[in-house]
Order: sequence, then C-alpha cells, then structure tokens
Amino acid sequence: MKRPSTSLSALLGAAAALLPSIHAGAASTDEATTLMSYRFSDYDEDALAPASVIGDGRRYHVLSHELDVDSKLADGQYGLKVNATHEVMSGSSPWFVLPDEHGKPIQVLSGATIKDHRSALSAAFTTDPTTSTNTTYSASYSVERDYSALAAGIERSQALSGMLTLGYGGSFSHDLIEPTDAVAYNRIQRATKNTASGFGSLAWVLDKSSVLQAGVQLNYEHGYLTDPYKLYSYGDGLVPERRPDARAQGAALVRYRRSFADIDASLHLDYRYALDNWGLHSHTVEVSWYQGFGNGWRFVPALRYYSQAAARFYSPFALVADGRNFYSNDYRLGTFGAFSTSANLRKALGRWELSMGVERYHSAQGLALDGSNEPVPALVNFWRAYAGFDIGFD
Amino acid sequence: MRLYRFAFSSMGCPCEVQFEAEDEATARRAYTVARAEVDRLDAKYSHYRSDSWLARACAGAGPDHTVDVDAETASLLDFAATLHAQSGGMFDITAAPLTRLWDGRNERLPTPEEIADARARVGWERIDWQRPRLRLPVAGMRFDFGGVVKEYAADRAAVCCRAAGVVHGVIDLGGDLAVVGAHHDGQPWLAGIKLPSNPGVPCANVELPRGGLATSGDYERALVVDGKRYSHIVDPRSGWPIESFASVSVIADSCLVAGAASTLAILLGTDEGAAYLEGLGLPHLCIDQTGSASGSIARL
Repeated sequence: MKRPSTSLSALLGAAAALLPSIHAGAASTDEATTLMSYRFSDYDEDALAPASVIGDGRRYHVLSHELDVDSKLADGQYGLKVNATHEVMSGSSPWFVLPDEHGKPIQVLSGATIKDHRSALSAAFTTDPTTSTNTTYSASYSVERDYSALAAGIERSQALSGMLTLGYGGSFSHDLIEPTDAVAYNRIQRATKNTASGFGSLAWVLDKSSVLQAGVQLNYEHGYLTDPYKLYSYGDGLVPERRPDARAQGAALVRYRRSFADIDASLHLDYRYALDNWGLHSHTVEVSWYQGFGNGWRFVPALRYYSQAAARFYSPFALVADGRNFYSNDYRLGTFGAFSTSANLRKALGRWELSMGVERYHSAQGLALDGSNEPVPALVNFWRAYAGFDIGFD
Repeated sequence: MRLYRFAFSSMGCPCEVQFEAEDEATARRAYTVARAEVDRLDAKYSHYRSDSWLARACAGAGPDHTVDVDAETASLLDFAATLHAQSGGMFDITAAPLTRLWDGRNERLPTPEEIADARARVGWERIDWQRPRLRLPVAGMRFDFGGVVKEYAADRAAVCCRAAGVVHGVIDLGGDLAVVGAHHDGQPWLAGIKLPSNPGVPCANVELPRGGLATSGDYERALVVDGKRYSHIVDPRSGWPIESFASVSVIADSCLVAGAASTLAILLGTDEGAAYLEGLGLPHLCIDQTGSASGSIARL
C-alpha cells in the first residue's frame, strides 16, 4: 500500500489550510487513515537427535496470531498504533545437561508437558506522525501463566536538516516471574526484573537513492535474570542454574538502504555488534532484497548471519563442584553461529495486500567466529511459516 | 465550446488565462474574477509595493511590534513554517535583507559587516508566531511570501474560475500553472517548461489534466566578481550563496505544493534537493548550471 512520503504529507497538510477545496483531506485522500494487518505464524523447532537426548526430543512449537491497527487521528496530527498478539506454545524445553561416561554432554529435556498461552497488548501514540520531527509514547503489557511484563517508552525523531535525522529514546520494563510448580521443584516462587534501555541514532540521506543510519543502544537489566526452570549438573548434584543479578549491554548498529528505482528494487544491509558484561558478544549481518515485479507483486529474499561468543559462566556442566559463583547451560548463552534464510512474497490487490513467507534457521557451534569451545548440545534449528494480510480504511 | 485567452500583467510578471467556454461573456466573467483575485493577493502581499498590507505589517518592526493577522495570512505563515522545518532552515521568509546583498546589479561582494548587519535582521526562529499574533522583534526585520504567494494566487484564481462557472481552463502566472479543469473533451492541457536561460524554447512538454506546475530558478542576474559567479540562492544561516540548480520544475495536485517543492529543492542545493524531490515522489525536472537535466520528467 503506497503511502505518500512524510514530507509530502506535511506539505499537503499545510496546503490544505490554504486551499481547502483542492486539498480537502489532502493528507488522507491518497492514503488510508487506518491500516489493519493480521498475521498468523507457525514456529516449529526441530526435534533433537534421540542419541544425545534423555526424554522426548520434540521441542517448542508456537502458533501465533498477531493483529496490528495503525491509525491517523485528527487529520493526521496524531498516530495511534495498537498491536495484539496471542501465542500458544507447546513442547518441551532443554532442562539440564549430564555428562555421559566419556564426558560428552547428554541433553535432558523437560518432557512434552508444557502447554502455555501468551497474550500481549501494546500501544504507541505519535504526535505529528507525518512529519520528520515527531515524538512517540508507547506502553505494553504481556502475560502468560508464569510471566508478566509491563513496559513504557518514549522516542523522538528530529530532522536536523533535509539530509540528517536524529533519533533518540528510552524505555523501562518491569517483569514479574512466578514459576509454576515452584514448591514441588524447589524453584524461586516469585521474582522481578527491571530493564532500562536508551538509544540514539543518526540517519543520513547520502544521495537521492540511499540512506545510511548508525546508532547505539544501551540496556541495563537488574533483578532475577536466571531461568527458574533450568538445572545445572554441578559435581555430583543437580542445582538450579545461577546467573548474576545485573547485566549491562551495549550495541552499535549500521543500516544501509539503497533503492534501484529503475528496476523497482531496493537493498537493505544491516550490521549489529553487541557485547555485555557477562562476556557475551555477538555480530549480526543481514542482507535483504526487495524486488517488485509489477501488478502489485513483491518478493523479498533475506539472509541473516549471527555469531555469538559464550558468556563467561556458560558450560554444559561442571564435573567438579569448584565453588564458582555463576553457572548456566542455557544454549542461548553458549558459543554458536547461525544462518537464517527467508523468503517473503507479497501481492497488493487494491486496498488489500496479501503476504506469505517462510524462514529456515540453522545454528551450529562450528559457525561461530570466535568464543569458548564449551559444547552447546541444545542448539536450536527451526522452520517458521507465516501468512497474513493488510487492509486500508478511510 | 471555444477557447478564449486573456493576457495581463500582475505580481511583477506576464500572466495569461485560457478557458474553454460556451460564449465570450462566460469566459470574460471568469477572467474578471480570476484577475481580481490575483490583483487582490498582489496588493496584499507584494514586497515591492510600499502600500501593500505586507509592507505596513513589517513597518515599525521592533521589540514591541505585534500584528494580528487574518486567517489567510495565518495559514500562509503556517505553510512557511512547514517549509522552514522541512528545509532545515533554508527556506526563510525573513531572508530578503541577505538575498538583496547578492543581487547581480550590486557588482561587488558584500562586506562582512554588511552580511553581519543583514543576518542580525534575518531568521524565522527570531519571529514570535502564535496564531493569530505575529511579533517581529528586531528593528528592520521583514518577511515576504516569495516562492509561495504567486503559486497560491494561481490556485486561488483557478478556484474563483470554477466558482464563476468555467470548468475547463488553465491559469499561467509567469510560468506557474494551475489547472481549472481539463479540456472539455477530457484531454489534459499541454504545458511547456522553459529554461530560465532561454525562455523562448521549451525544454520539456508536460500534460496537465489537473493540479499545477511550478518552476523555481536561479533566474536573476548572478553577481560576478573577478570572474567568479555568485548565485542568487543564499543560505540564510551563513549569509553566503550556495550552488544549486538553474531551474527546478515540479507537478503536484496544486500549484502551491508544486511551488513549495521546487523552491525547497533549489534552496537545498543539487544533491540534497534531488534527494528531497525523490523522497516527495512528485514528477519533477531539474536543470543544473551546465544545462544538463535530471528528474522524472523527460527533457526534450
């Protein structure tokens, strides 16, 4: 759905006051004032190979429904976006890792007993959304059986010149964790986590067809950052995993967009580097190509590479209880690299746009650029397929 | 249906209206109201007439000088504020004292003192604008709607023609065009875009079924000192000229928006101006100082 550029909308909006008969509702006649989109997706993790697993090797399966409504209010002076998501999760997750008789890791899964729902609602309110200088206030709430999160944020975009736009903002989130079966499994019964984030970015218009954006982001998490369900094989015993109660993370990112108007295509190139005081650092490179084929058809293939070096306290298990403070075998804290390949097909039909896509994600320790050699037995591979539609209303 | 043409002079430029009407009386009535509207706006906003409303509003600028403006002027000021924001301060309705220093007739470069003196009286951000009250806080400060008002007048004239019963026609105020309505058989009006350096020969022909076409350019005689050319386009933030296109033409739903886009593209300079036009997505033609063309409108 083609919308006029923000600068054109601003011109039309200002002209409407002078020439109401020509520009009556000019800011909105060429674009829908409300855009609604719905997407259904099916996320399916590959089962782990039976040889290296104790328990049912079938892992997570998530079906999600997502509804977005993006509306312009008061002749485009304000924008309101609302997102509602509902997910149904099932399957088992990695529980702990045991050494076999040769010291090789055997993954133990929690058993296919988990069945949970997550519901989330978020809203963002923007002043002057059609101009390049605007402010967005956002709030969100997400709840599932054992977890809830409440967040609020503010961000501002400011045109420094026709070529340069500054963006900055911050957010705060308060999460509450109430693990299920806490008493039976000796888990913590109730814990909280707070996260504060800030970001700043600069976007340059390099020439008539390319834009470069560079930014930094800082996050600080404090509170219960441990996964209450995971156990760790520590010497002769199994103990709940333990992580520090604070984590500071910094990230830098660069985005490049170039359009090739003569062939109705554009290139998106993104790079992100992140590191934290847990010793974890990562590189992400993503390239995607947006290709139009006329008659409203658009095809978007994308490739993403991710490489992560493990947190200092990651290891699959400890053969000897050596008095260390922190220990976790969560595969998300290990060393690995991953490729994600995806393809998205879109077709515009008047005010409707239909889309469908598929993504394959494959991770392996050997794909990492650097990091410790501690084995990561529960690395995930998944398929994700989705389909949905957008529709515009006046 | 017959074609009727009326030529006149207003806003400091040659003007022409063309109508298709059943009879001459209808066409002449439309011409009369269109011309009256253009003359009204010229009398109100002319910056070279000492008896204009604008001249009176600017007279006596100083710390205690405020003017309560009417709704039309207020909307023009709001429009100017939008252009100022969108151009990062390059479009500035208070810039006249600076622009005048770089007039080709001066035959010498302005002195740093002259530039500093003019800059002290320039800057939209210095103006206190709280609709409907305008305060020009610096003595000698003034504003004008150059780059906007002629285009607005073309659109207003077209609106008045429709109200007078003529629905097929085009208004041409010195090359800025507003369409009253397409030809009676539905065909678009054909308009030639002219080069500032060679106004006799069109460099592109465009079809206009509705809306408007505006051209902005570095027309005025450039200041040439010691063989170096100084353009007439002045950065109000530095007080110095910038190199830009010789001419930019834009087509939009109104002459006003077309004029705003072409004026901003000229003020932003060649690279930034081209990127701005590309971002707007409106049909445009840019001619640079060497005469070479770029943009989505094909050159002849």
